Amino acid sequence: MDFSWTQKQIEFKKEVIDFAKTNLGTTYIEEDYNCKFSKKDWKACADFGLLGLSVPKKYSNQKEEVDVLSAILAMEALGYGCKDNGLPFAMNAQMWTVQTPIAHFGTEAQKDKFLPKLTSGEWIASHALTEPEAGSDVFSMQTTATKTDGGYILNGKKHLITLGPICDFALVFAVTNPKVGKWGLSVFLVEKGTEGFTVSPNKAKMGLRTVPIGDLTFTDCFVKEENRLGAEGAGWSITNHSLELDRCSVHASQVGAMERQLEQSITYVKKRKQFGKSVGRFQSVSNRIADMKLRLETSKLLLYKVAWLKSQGKPAMLEGAMLKLQISENFVNSSIDAIRNHGGYGYLVENEVERDLRDAVGGVIYAGTSDIQRNIISQIIGL
Amino acid sequence: MQEKIIKYIEELSSEEIDESIEATEDLLGSGILDSLGMMKLIAFLEEEFCCKVLPEEMVIENFMTVLHITDYLETKLVEKQ
Repeated sequence: MDFSWTQKQIEFKKEVIDFAKTNLGTTYIEEDYNCKFSKKDWKACADFGLLGLSVPKKYSNQKEEVDVLSAILAMEALGYGCKDNGLPFAMNAQMWTVQTPIAHFGTEAQKDKFLPKLTSGEWIASHALTEPEAGSDVFSMQTTATKTDGGYILNGKKHLITLGPICDFALVFAVTNPKVGKWGLSVFLVEKGTEGFTVSPNKAKMGLRTVPIGDLTFTDCFVKEENRLGAEGAGWSITNHSLELDRCSVHASQVGAMERQLEQSITYVKKRKQFGKSVGRFQSVSNRIADMKLRLETSKLLLYKVAWLKSQGKPAMLEGAMLKLQISENFVNSSIDAIRNHGGYGYLVENEVERDLRDAVGGVIYAGTSDIQRNIISQIIGL
Repeated sequence: MQEKIIKYIEELSSEEIDESIEATEDLLGSGILDSLGMMKLIAFLEEEFCCKVLPEEMVIENFMTVLHITDYLETKLVEKQ
Protein backbone atom coordinates (compact mmCIF):
# COMPACT_ATOMS: atom_id res chain seq x y z
CA MET A 1 0.00 0.00 0.00
CA ASP A 2 1.48 3.30 -1.13
CA PHE A 3 0.00 6.54 0.19
CA SER A 4 2.57 8.82 -1.39
CA TRP A 5 1.89 11.45 -4.03
CA THR A 6 4.18 11.93 -7.00
CA GLN A 7 6.38 15.02 -7.15
CA LYS A 8 4.27 16.22 -10.06
CA GLN A 9 1.05 15.90 -8.04
CA ILE A 10 2.60 17.73 -5.07
CA GLU A 11 3.75 20.55 -7.36
CA PHE A 12 0.31 20.75 -8.96
CA LYS A 13 -1.27 21.04 -5.52
CA LYS A 14 1.11 23.88 -4.62
CA GLU A 15 0.34 25.64 -7.90
CA VAL A 16 -3.40 25.51 -7.17
CA ILE A 17 -2.90 26.84 -3.65
CA ASP A 18 -0.69 29.67 -4.93
CA PHE A 19 -3.21 30.46 -7.65
CA ALA A 20 -6.11 30.57 -5.18
CA LYS A 21 -4.28 32.72 -2.65
CA THR A 22 -3.04 35.14 -5.32
CA ASN A 23 -6.00 35.40 -7.66
CA LEU A 24 -9.16 34.77 -5.66
CA GLY A 25 -10.78 37.16 -3.24
CA THR A 26 -8.97 37.83 0.03
CA THR A 27 -12.24 38.36 1.89
CA TYR A 28 -15.79 37.26 1.19
CA ILE A 29 -17.63 39.10 3.95
CA GLU A 30 -19.58 41.34 1.59
CA GLU A 31 -20.32 38.61 -0.97
CA ASP A 32 -21.52 36.32 1.82
CA TYR A 33 -23.72 39.02 3.34
CA ASN A 34 -25.26 40.01 0.00
CA CYS A 35 -25.47 36.45 -1.43
CA LYS A 36 -23.28 37.61 -4.29
CA PHE A 37 -21.77 35.24 -6.84
CA SER A 38 -18.30 36.18 -8.11
CA LYS A 39 -18.15 35.65 -11.86
CA LYS A 40 -14.62 37.07 -11.72
CA ASP A 41 -13.40 34.27 -9.43
CA TRP A 42 -15.27 31.68 -11.50
CA LYS A 43 -13.56 32.90 -14.68
CA ALA A 44 -10.16 33.00 -12.95
CA CYS A 45 -10.58 29.33 -11.98
CA ALA A 46 -11.62 28.50 -15.53
CA ASP A 47 -8.61 30.32 -17.00
CA PHE A 48 -6.32 28.45 -14.62
CA GLY A 49 -7.81 25.19 -15.92
CA LEU A 50 -9.65 23.98 -12.85
CA LEU A 51 -13.05 23.65 -14.51
CA GLY A 52 -11.50 21.42 -17.13
CA LEU A 53 -10.26 18.80 -14.67
CA SER A 54 -13.35 16.60 -15.06
CA VAL A 55 -13.26 16.21 -18.85
CA PRO A 56 -10.77 15.10 -21.53
CA LYS A 57 -8.23 17.81 -22.37
CA LYS A 58 -9.59 18.34 -25.88
CA TYR A 59 -12.54 20.13 -24.27
CA SER A 60 -10.49 22.27 -21.89
CA ASN A 61 -7.35 24.36 -21.71
CA GLN A 62 -5.39 21.63 -19.89
CA LYS A 63 -2.07 20.84 -21.57
CA GLU A 64 -2.29 17.15 -20.72
CA GLU A 65 -4.83 14.66 -19.44
CA VAL A 66 -5.28 14.93 -15.66
CA ASP A 67 -5.85 11.72 -13.70
CA VAL A 68 -8.63 11.42 -11.12
CA LEU A 69 -6.26 11.48 -8.13
CA SER A 70 -4.62 14.70 -9.32
CA ALA A 71 -8.02 16.28 -10.01
CA ILE A 72 -9.21 15.44 -6.49
CA LEU A 73 -5.97 16.76 -5.01
CA ALA A 74 -6.43 19.99 -6.98
CA MET A 75 -9.95 20.46 -5.60
CA GLU A 76 -8.61 19.82 -2.09
CA ALA A 77 -5.99 22.49 -2.75
CA LEU A 78 -8.67 24.91 -3.94
CA GLY A 79 -10.62 24.32 -0.71
CA TYR A 80 -7.48 25.11 1.23
CA GLY A 81 -6.43 28.18 -0.73
CA CYS A 82 -9.86 29.74 -1.27
CA LYS A 83 -11.64 31.12 1.79
CA ASP A 84 -14.98 31.02 0.00
CA ASN A 85 -16.35 27.48 0.42
CA GLY A 86 -19.14 28.29 -2.02
CA LEU A 87 -16.88 28.64 -5.06
CA PRO A 88 -15.41 25.11 -4.98
CA PHE A 89 -18.85 23.72 -4.09
CA ALA A 90 -20.44 25.30 -7.17
CA MET A 91 -17.53 24.39 -9.42
CA ASN A 92 -17.65 20.77 -8.32
CA ALA A 93 -21.38 20.66 -8.99
CA GLN A 94 -20.90 21.77 -12.57
CA MET A 95 -17.74 19.75 -13.18
CA TRP A 96 -18.96 16.35 -12.03
CA THR A 97 -22.73 16.43 -12.44
CA VAL A 98 -22.94 18.33 -15.73
CA GLN A 99 -19.61 18.21 -17.56
CA THR A 100 -18.73 14.59 -16.78
CA PRO A 101 -22.13 13.20 -17.88
CA ILE A 102 -21.94 15.22 -21.12
CA ALA A 103 -18.37 14.01 -21.72
CA HIS A 104 -19.47 10.41 -21.22
CA PHE A 105 -23.01 10.20 -22.58
CA GLY A 106 -23.06 13.12 -25.01
CA THR A 107 -22.93 13.04 -28.79
CA GLU A 108 -19.88 14.60 -30.41
CA ALA A 109 -22.04 17.59 -31.33
CA GLN A 110 -23.18 18.01 -27.70
CA LYS A 111 -19.63 17.73 -26.39
CA ASP A 112 -18.34 20.26 -28.92
CA LYS A 113 -21.16 22.66 -28.25
CA PHE A 114 -21.32 22.62 -24.46
CA LEU A 115 -18.03 21.50 -22.92
CA PRO A 116 -15.59 24.18 -24.19
CA LYS A 117 -18.01 26.90 -23.12
CA LEU A 118 -18.27 25.38 -19.64
CA THR A 119 -14.60 24.72 -19.05
CA SER A 120 -13.69 28.22 -20.29
CA GLY A 121 -16.13 29.79 -17.84
CA GLU A 122 -18.15 31.40 -20.62
CA TRP A 123 -21.25 29.39 -19.72
CA ILE A 124 -22.51 28.13 -16.39
CA ALA A 125 -24.71 25.06 -16.06
CA SER A 126 -26.79 23.40 -13.39
CA HIS A 127 -27.80 19.82 -12.63
CA ALA A 128 -31.55 19.65 -12.16
CA LEU A 129 -32.67 16.49 -10.39
CA THR A 130 -34.31 17.46 -7.08
CA GLU A 131 -38.00 18.43 -6.99
CA PRO A 132 -40.28 19.82 -4.29
CA GLU A 133 -41.66 16.31 -3.59
CA ALA A 134 -38.61 14.34 -4.68
CA GLY A 135 -35.63 14.98 -2.40
CA SER A 136 -34.04 11.89 -0.89
CA ASP A 137 -36.69 9.85 -2.75
CA VAL A 138 -35.45 11.35 -5.97
CA PHE A 139 -36.95 8.78 -8.31
CA SER A 140 -40.47 9.80 -7.37
CA MET A 141 -40.00 12.86 -9.56
CA GLN A 142 -42.98 14.43 -11.29
CA THR A 143 -41.35 16.34 -14.15
CA THR A 144 -42.41 14.76 -17.44
CA ALA A 145 -41.03 14.80 -20.96
CA THR A 146 -43.65 13.80 -23.51
CA LYS A 147 -42.46 12.71 -26.94
CA THR A 148 -43.60 14.87 -29.79
CA ASP A 149 -42.50 15.58 -33.36
CA GLY A 150 -38.78 16.35 -33.32
CA GLY A 151 -38.42 16.39 -29.57
CA TYR A 152 -40.10 16.44 -26.18
CA ILE A 153 -42.44 18.68 -24.21
CA LEU A 154 -41.22 19.20 -20.63
CA ASN A 155 -43.52 20.06 -17.75
CA GLY A 156 -42.57 20.26 -14.09
CA LYS A 157 -40.54 22.04 -11.46
CA LYS A 158 -37.02 21.52 -10.14
CA HIS A 159 -36.14 22.68 -6.67
CA LEU A 160 -32.99 23.78 -4.79
CA ILE A 161 -30.92 23.79 -7.96
CA THR A 162 -27.32 24.92 -7.48
CA LEU A 163 -26.42 27.71 -9.95
CA GLY A 164 -30.01 27.51 -11.27
CA PRO A 165 -30.74 31.26 -11.21
CA ILE A 166 -27.68 32.07 -13.35
CA CYS A 167 -27.39 28.98 -15.52
CA ASP A 168 -26.96 29.19 -19.28
CA PHE A 169 -28.41 25.72 -19.56
CA ALA A 170 -29.60 22.97 -17.26
CA LEU A 171 -29.14 19.22 -17.34
CA VAL A 172 -32.68 18.17 -16.53
CA PHE A 173 -34.07 14.80 -15.47
CA ALA A 174 -37.63 13.99 -16.52
CA VAL A 175 -39.92 10.97 -16.76
CA THR A 176 -40.33 9.78 -20.34
CA ASN A 177 -41.95 6.45 -19.54
CA PRO A 178 -43.80 6.30 -16.21
CA LYS A 179 -44.73 2.63 -16.72
CA VAL A 180 -41.18 1.41 -16.12
CA GLY A 181 -40.36 3.41 -12.99
CA LYS A 182 -36.66 4.20 -12.55
CA TRP A 183 -35.91 2.93 -16.04
CA GLY A 184 -38.21 5.56 -17.49
CA LEU A 185 -36.07 8.62 -16.75
CA SER A 186 -34.31 10.59 -19.45
CA VAL A 187 -32.03 13.61 -19.43
CA PHE A 188 -32.27 16.83 -21.44
CA LEU A 189 -30.00 19.82 -21.96
CA VAL A 190 -32.32 22.81 -21.77
CA GLU A 191 -30.86 26.15 -22.78
CA LYS A 192 -31.64 29.54 -21.32
CA GLY A 193 -34.14 31.38 -23.46
CA THR A 194 -36.01 28.23 -24.45
CA GLU A 195 -39.71 29.07 -24.45
CA GLY A 196 -41.41 27.67 -21.35
CA PHE A 197 -38.19 27.49 -19.31
CA THR A 198 -37.96 29.95 -16.41
CA VAL A 199 -35.69 30.28 -13.39
CA SER A 200 -36.46 31.77 -9.99
CA PRO A 201 -34.41 34.52 -8.38
CA ASN A 202 -31.62 33.46 -6.05
CA LYS A 203 -32.88 32.19 -2.68
CA ALA A 204 -31.06 33.33 0.44
CA LYS A 205 -29.73 30.51 2.56
CA MET A 206 -27.82 29.85 5.79
CA GLY A 207 -24.42 29.16 4.22
CA LEU A 208 -22.71 28.81 0.85
CA ARG A 209 -24.29 32.18 0.23
CA THR A 210 -21.99 33.05 -2.68
CA VAL A 211 -23.62 30.28 -4.71
CA PRO A 212 -26.96 31.10 -6.33
CA ILE A 213 -29.63 28.47 -5.74
CA GLY A 214 -33.21 28.38 -6.95
CA ASP A 215 -36.04 26.69 -8.81
CA LEU A 216 -36.40 25.86 -12.49
CA THR A 217 -39.86 25.64 -14.03
CA PHE A 218 -40.82 23.98 -17.30
CA THR A 219 -44.19 24.81 -18.80
CA ASP A 220 -44.91 23.15 -22.14
CA CYS A 221 -41.23 23.61 -22.84
CA PHE A 222 -40.22 22.11 -26.18
CA VAL A 223 -36.75 20.56 -26.26
CA LYS A 224 -35.30 19.23 -29.49
CA GLU A 225 -34.43 15.55 -29.68
CA GLU A 226 -30.80 16.52 -30.34
CA ASN A 227 -30.72 17.96 -26.81
CA ARG A 228 -31.53 14.64 -25.14
CA LEU A 229 -28.42 13.38 -23.33
CA GLY A 230 -27.89 9.65 -23.81
CA ALA A 231 -30.56 7.21 -24.82
CA GLU A 232 -34.18 7.53 -23.78
CA GLY A 233 -34.31 5.83 -20.37
CA ALA A 234 -30.63 6.50 -19.55
CA GLY A 235 -31.50 8.82 -16.64
CA TRP A 236 -30.91 6.24 -13.92
CA SER A 237 -27.50 5.36 -15.29
CA ILE A 238 -26.56 9.04 -15.68
CA THR A 239 -27.44 9.80 -12.04
CA ASN A 240 -25.25 6.96 -10.86
CA HIS A 241 -22.40 7.52 -13.27
CA SER A 242 -20.62 10.42 -11.61
CA LEU A 243 -22.21 10.32 -8.17
CA GLU A 244 -19.16 8.88 -6.42
CA LEU A 245 -16.76 11.24 -8.20
CA ASP A 246 -18.94 14.21 -7.29
CA ARG A 247 -19.01 13.17 -3.63
CA CYS A 248 -15.28 12.67 -3.70
CA SER A 249 -14.46 16.00 -5.26
CA VAL A 250 -16.89 18.27 -3.42
CA HIS A 251 -15.70 16.83 -0.13
CA ALA A 252 -12.07 17.11 -1.22
CA SER A 253 -12.59 20.86 -1.08
CA GLN A 254 -14.04 20.49 2.42
CA VAL A 255 -10.93 18.57 3.46
CA GLY A 256 -8.83 21.45 2.17
CA ALA A 257 -10.97 23.89 4.15
CA MET A 258 -10.54 21.76 7.29
CA GLU A 259 -6.77 21.92 6.89
CA ARG A 260 -6.90 25.72 6.53
CA GLN A 261 -9.19 25.88 9.57
CA LEU A 262 -6.83 23.76 11.68
CA GLU A 263 -3.79 25.87 10.79
CA GLN A 264 -5.71 29.07 11.62
CA SER A 265 -6.76 27.61 14.95
CA ILE A 266 -3.23 26.55 15.87
CA THR A 267 -1.84 29.99 14.99
CA TYR A 268 -4.53 31.71 17.04
CA VAL A 269 -4.39 29.57 20.18
CA LYS A 270 -0.59 29.91 20.29
CA LYS A 271 -0.80 33.70 19.98
CA ARG A 272 -3.79 34.33 22.25
CA LYS A 273 -2.70 34.65 25.88
CA GLN A 274 -4.89 34.33 28.98
CA PHE A 275 -3.83 33.76 32.59
CA GLY A 276 -0.23 34.42 31.50
CA LYS A 277 0.08 31.72 28.84
CA SER A 278 -1.08 30.76 25.39
CA VAL A 279 -4.60 29.37 25.46
CA GLY A 280 -3.26 26.43 23.45
CA ARG A 281 -1.45 25.31 26.60
CA PHE A 282 -4.78 24.57 28.26
CA GLN A 283 -5.77 20.94 27.70
CA SER A 284 -9.39 21.73 26.92
CA VAL A 285 -8.13 23.74 23.93
CA SER A 286 -5.28 21.45 22.87
CA ASN A 287 -7.59 18.42 23.01
CA ARG A 288 -9.92 20.18 20.62
CA ILE A 289 -7.02 20.83 18.26
CA ALA A 290 -6.09 17.13 18.46
CA ASP A 291 -9.69 16.18 17.60
CA MET A 292 -9.62 18.54 14.60
CA LYS A 293 -6.39 16.94 13.40
CA LEU A 294 -7.86 13.46 13.79
CA ARG A 295 -10.98 14.46 11.83
CA LEU A 296 -8.79 15.90 9.08
CA GLU A 297 -6.64 12.80 8.77
CA THR A 298 -9.52 10.29 8.86
CA SER A 299 -11.27 12.42 6.24
CA LYS A 300 -8.19 12.32 4.04
CA LEU A 301 -7.93 8.54 4.33
CA LEU A 302 -11.49 8.03 3.13
CA LEU A 303 -11.13 10.67 0.44
CA TYR A 304 -7.96 9.21 -1.00
CA LYS A 305 -9.34 5.68 -0.84
CA VAL A 306 -12.41 6.61 -2.88
CA ALA A 307 -10.28 8.65 -5.30
CA TRP A 308 -7.97 5.68 -5.72
CA LEU A 309 -10.87 3.26 -6.29
CA LYS A 310 -12.31 5.57 -8.94
CA SER A 311 -8.88 5.99 -10.56
CA GLN A 312 -8.83 2.19 -10.90
CA GLY A 313 -12.31 2.18 -12.45
CA LYS A 314 -13.69 0.34 -9.43
CA PRO A 315 -17.06 0.87 -7.73
CA ALA A 316 -17.05 2.75 -4.42
CA MET A 317 -20.65 2.60 -3.21
CA LEU A 318 -19.86 1.82 0.40
CA GLU A 319 -16.70 3.92 0.55
CA GLY A 320 -18.42 6.84 -1.19
CA ALA A 321 -21.24 6.85 1.35
CA MET A 322 -18.79 6.63 4.26
CA LEU A 323 -16.75 9.47 2.77
CA LYS A 324 -19.81 11.69 2.35
CA LEU A 325 -21.00 10.99 5.89
CA GLN A 326 -17.64 11.27 7.61
CA ILE A 327 -16.24 14.34 5.88
CA SER A 328 -19.42 16.41 5.96
CA GLU A 329 -20.02 15.67 9.65
CA ASN A 330 -16.35 16.24 10.45
CA PHE A 331 -16.43 19.63 8.74
CA VAL A 332 -19.43 20.69 10.86
CA ASN A 333 -17.78 19.53 14.07
CA SER A 334 -14.41 21.08 13.28
CA SER A 335 -16.09 24.33 12.28
CA ILE A 336 -17.74 24.54 15.71
CA ASP A 337 -14.41 23.72 17.34
CA ALA A 338 -12.69 26.43 15.29
CA ILE A 339 -15.18 28.98 16.67
CA ARG A 340 -14.63 27.70 20.23
CA ASN A 341 -10.87 27.98 19.74
CA HIS A 342 -11.23 31.60 18.64
CA GLY A 343 -13.74 32.50 21.38
CA GLY A 344 -15.61 35.78 20.85
CA TYR A 345 -13.27 36.64 17.97
CA GLY A 346 -14.50 33.56 16.11
CA TYR A 347 -18.14 34.51 16.62
CA LEU A 348 -17.78 37.83 14.79
CA VAL A 349 -18.51 37.79 11.06
CA GLU A 350 -15.66 40.19 10.31
CA ASN A 351 -13.05 37.61 11.28
CA GLU A 352 -14.30 34.99 8.81
CA VAL A 353 -14.24 32.05 11.21
CA GLU A 354 -17.96 31.49 11.80
CA ARG A 355 -18.75 31.38 8.07
CA ASP A 356 -17.20 27.91 7.75
CA LEU A 357 -19.83 26.53 10.14
CA ARG A 358 -22.69 28.02 8.15
CA ASP A 359 -21.13 26.67 4.95
CA ALA A 360 -20.49 23.25 6.46
CA VAL A 361 -24.09 22.55 7.47
CA GLY A 362 -25.17 22.29 3.82
CA GLY A 363 -22.78 19.35 3.44
CA VAL A 364 -24.81 17.10 5.71
CA ILE A 365 -27.89 17.77 3.55
CA TYR A 366 -26.97 18.13 -0.12
CA ALA A 367 -26.16 15.18 -2.42
CA GLY A 368 -27.70 12.70 0.03
CA THR A 369 -28.24 13.59 3.67
CA SER A 370 -26.24 12.00 6.47
CA ASP A 371 -29.35 9.94 7.31
CA ILE A 372 -29.44 8.58 3.77
CA GLN A 373 -25.71 7.81 3.84
CA ARG A 374 -26.20 5.79 7.02
CA ASN A 375 -29.03 3.89 5.32
CA ILE A 376 -26.79 3.14 2.34
CA ILE A 377 -23.92 1.98 4.54
CA SER A 378 -26.09 -0.30 6.67
CA GLN A 379 -27.83 -1.73 3.60
CA ILE A 380 -24.55 -2.48 1.85
CA ILE A 381 -23.11 -4.27 4.85
CA GLY A 382 -26.12 -6.55 5.04
CA LEU A 383 -28.94 -4.98 7.04
CA MET B 1 -25.66 -18.21 -14.91
CA GLN B 2 -29.38 -17.61 -14.38
CA GLU B 3 -29.44 -19.61 -11.13
CA LYS B 4 -26.45 -17.75 -9.73
CA ILE B 5 -28.03 -14.39 -10.48
CA ILE B 6 -31.41 -15.37 -8.98
CA LYS B 7 -29.69 -16.76 -5.88
CA TYR B 8 -27.79 -13.50 -5.40
CA ILE B 9 -30.91 -11.37 -5.85
CA GLU B 10 -32.83 -13.53 -3.37
CA GLU B 11 -30.05 -13.05 -0.84
CA LEU B 12 -30.13 -9.30 -1.44
CA SER B 13 -33.87 -9.02 -1.05
CA SER B 14 -34.71 -11.86 1.34
CA GLU B 15 -36.89 -9.69 3.58
CA GLU B 16 -38.84 -8.12 0.73
CA ILE B 17 -39.93 -11.29 -1.06
CA ASP B 18 -41.52 -14.52 0.16
CA GLU B 19 -41.54 -16.52 -3.04
CA SER B 20 -38.71 -17.36 -5.38
CA ILE B 21 -37.97 -14.91 -8.17
CA GLU B 22 -39.01 -15.64 -11.73
CA ALA B 23 -36.53 -14.88 -14.52
CA THR B 24 -39.15 -12.69 -16.20
CA GLU B 25 -39.99 -10.47 -13.21
CA ASP B 26 -39.28 -6.74 -13.41
CA LEU B 27 -36.56 -6.30 -10.79
CA LEU B 28 -36.68 -2.53 -10.22
CA GLY B 29 -40.29 -1.97 -11.25
CA SER B 30 -41.77 -4.59 -8.93
CA GLY B 31 -39.64 -3.43 -6.00
CA ILE B 32 -37.56 -6.62 -5.74
CA LEU B 33 -34.50 -4.36 -5.95
CA ASP B 34 -34.11 -0.68 -5.22
CA SER B 35 -31.47 1.50 -6.91
CA LEU B 36 -28.79 0.52 -4.43
CA GLY B 37 -29.69 -3.15 -4.82
CA MET B 38 -29.35 -2.82 -8.58
CA MET B 39 -25.93 -1.22 -8.19
CA LYS B 40 -24.88 -4.06 -5.87
CA LEU B 41 -26.16 -6.59 -8.41
CA ILE B 42 -24.13 -4.92 -11.17
CA ALA B 43 -21.00 -4.99 -8.98
CA PHE B 44 -21.67 -8.70 -8.33
CA LEU B 45 -22.08 -9.45 -12.06
CA GLU B 46 -18.82 -7.66 -12.88
CA GLU B 47 -16.92 -9.68 -10.33
CA GLU B 48 -18.61 -13.02 -10.87
CA PHE B 49 -18.51 -12.95 -14.66
CA CYS B 50 -15.29 -10.94 -15.09
CA CYS B 51 -16.85 -8.23 -17.21
CA LYS B 52 -17.28 -4.46 -17.13
CA VAL B 53 -20.80 -3.06 -17.31
CA LEU B 54 -20.47 0.31 -19.04
CA PRO B 55 -22.65 3.16 -17.72
CA GLU B 56 -24.46 3.48 -21.05
CA GLU B 57 -25.35 -0.23 -20.87
CA MET B 58 -27.29 0.20 -17.61
CA VAL B 59 -30.65 0.46 -19.35
CA ILE B 60 -33.95 -1.37 -19.19
CA GLU B 61 -33.11 -3.43 -22.29
CA ASN B 62 -30.26 -5.08 -20.35
CA PHE B 63 -31.40 -5.08 -16.73
CA MET B 64 -35.18 -5.20 -16.47
CA THR B 65 -35.37 -8.92 -15.63
CA VAL B 66 -32.98 -11.77 -14.95
CA LEU B 67 -33.68 -12.96 -18.48
CA HIS B 68 -32.59 -9.61 -19.89
CA ILE B 69 -29.45 -9.75 -17.74
CA THR B 70 -28.45 -13.22 -18.89
CA ASP B 71 -29.02 -12.30 -22.56
CA TYR B 72 -26.94 -9.18 -22.10
CA LEU B 73 -24.13 -11.01 -20.30
CA GLU B 74 -24.04 -13.85 -22.82
CA THR B 75 -23.69 -11.34 -25.66
CA LYS B 76 -21.01 -9.49 -23.75
CA LEU B 77 -19.04 -12.63 -22.96
CA VAL B 78 -19.19 -13.77 -26.60
CA GLU B 79 -17.88 -10.34 -27.69
CA LYS B 80 -15.04 -10.69 -25.20
CA GLN B 81 -13.84 -14.03 -26.67
